[in-house]
Amino acid sequence: MIAALIAALTMTVVGVPVTVATDRSARGPLLLGLAFLYGSAATCAALLLLSVLHITWTSVSAMAALMLIAIAAWLARGLTQEPPPATGHQPRPHLLDSITLILIIGYAAYITVASLWEWDFWAIWGLKARVFLERGSIDWTWLENRWNDFAHPDYPLLVPLNYAFVGLLNGGWSDRWLGVLFVAWAAALLLVVRALTADEAPNWASSAATAAVATVAMSSHAGMAEAALIAYAGSALLFLRRAVRDDRALDWRHGALLLGLAANSKNEGIALLAATAIGIAVTAPRRLVRLWPAGALVAPWMLLRAAHTLPTDIASGSILGRFADRVANADQVFAVLGLALVDPWSWLVIVLTFFIVPKGLRRERFVVAVTAVQLVFYVATYFATPHDLQWHVMTSWSRLTRQVQLPITVTCVLLLAQLLVRGEDAGCPGRSGAPDRSPS
Amino acid sequence: MLRRILAACALVLLVALHFDYNMARFPFLEREAFHRHFTRMPDGQWEQYPRFLDGVRAHTKPGDRIAIVVPSMTWDGVYSYAYYRASYFLTGREVIPLLYRTDAPIASNLERADYLAVWQSRGPEATVVWQGEGGVLLRRR
Repeated sequence: MIAALIAALTMTVVGVPVTVATDRSARGPLLLGLAFLYGSAATCAALLLLSVLHITWTSVSAMAALMLIAIAAWLARGLTQEPPPATGHQPRPHLLDSITLILIIGYAAYITVASLWEWDFWAIWGLKARVFLERGSIDWTWLENRWNDFAHPDYPLLVPLNYAFVGLLNGGWSDRWLGVLFVAWAAALLLVVRALTADEAPNWASSAATAAVATVAMSSHAGMAEAALIAYAGSALLFLRRAVRDDRALDWRHGALLLGLAANSKNEGIALLAATAIGIAVTAPRRLVRLWPAGALVAPWMLLRAAHTLPTDIASGSILGRFADRVANADQVFAVLGLALVDPWSWLVIVLTFFIVPKGLRRERFVVAVTAVQLVFYVATYFATPHDLQWHVMTSWSRLTRQVQLPITVTCVLLLAQLLVRGEDAGCPGRSGAPDRSPS
Repeated sequence: MLRRILAACALVLLVALHFDYNMARFPFLEREAFHRHFTRMPDGQWEQYPRFLDGVRAHTKPGDRIAIVVPSMTWDGVYSYAYYRASYFLTGREVIPLLYRTDAPIASNLERADYLAVWQSRGPEATVVWQGEGGVLLRRR
């Protein structure tokens, strides 16, 4: 457990200068949450860099690479022009925060109760980490081996490299306490949610929004990359939501960076990058170029993946043929999707929110568009899957819908709170029109 | 006014529907029982199999090529699990499947193997390197 805790702490410490270099105005929960998220990404970058430079991973080489990243970030902190900060409202403790706190304590107890147990952990994410750790580098030969294609060699490596870092500090592989990272990803995301919502809503509404998504942030899929993806994707979309609304350079920067890190966590993150680009094109087309950091962050992995011709199972065989066959039987596909949907009541309330606050649909069209497009991507994948449809849907649909649930849920809570406090026509809160702070 | 009441109800529902009661009470449940449950989860009825793989790992070295033989040589649900699980426990070695995605044997892979890790099955005549936990490790060359 000590190694996992030290790893999470190291990531946070390294992430502080990276966060400050990105955003000198970050304070409190936002700084802490972003520090872990950027530190976790810096760990991935450090091990990837060592691997590309053919420097064998050891605890010393990994720490040295991380320290170099931290020093470089610290030195770079003065290079970026500092945009004006957001309203700067810091969240204050609220009774509703106890819901989030209780759930985090419960989650920490749950996810660390045993070695990570999901099939996809020991057959994909943990397997790669263990192979790379023993090799002391990313083992491209292993990834290219046709008998290992069950491990999905094309999946991005942020999560396996985080696991490998814990192994380096531990002096060898152990899957017993890797759940600590899951707690950290979830807590970091919730800190970001709390900070961002407090900046535009009354303290109680911010606290309620955070409590409403606490369970969504805490992936129960022990060992899979869902927790990291939800953390990066959720925080990215919340920053970009604000960026589309207020056009602040800082929000675009964080949003694009975090989106790029989501794309380094899972293939669904790469799909989210495309969905977000569509969302921006619909809502703020002139700002599309602001997403370039996301593309720059995912480019190294895409190039390495192409250079090593790592196969993608969805793309195998005749995609168009499968797609055409399933379109002819679309009712069966949607029937299976209906059966496998989790949280149907939550989704119903999300939809109802836009009937209660009709103007919210236009106001929040970015989040709504990205959520819808991403869901369309997921459903389209089922139409093209080379696997048994029922098996594929039953083993993934609940996870996929969870991945997109956080930003839309936060958005809905804020819309409802705004109607309660100010009336729907009060206009959009934000930097220029932050609501009055009501006592908590 | 009606919309505000609906908004209040929807807001409460969004928080309440996402509240995971099982997660909240997890710290108060018997941790040891859950530890056993989740530790056994990946292997189901094959509790001994990971311990066998640990033994195989202890008696082989990195780079060795190891083929896996288990009771039912069918891909779906049996051999796929056995092969993936062996890949996880025997990292550093090259785990070689004797069938892959279909139930058709891959004779060329058997030829490549330095060792056969045979669990709960009868293996061919070969030198026994180690036996225990319901299986035997055979050296082929």
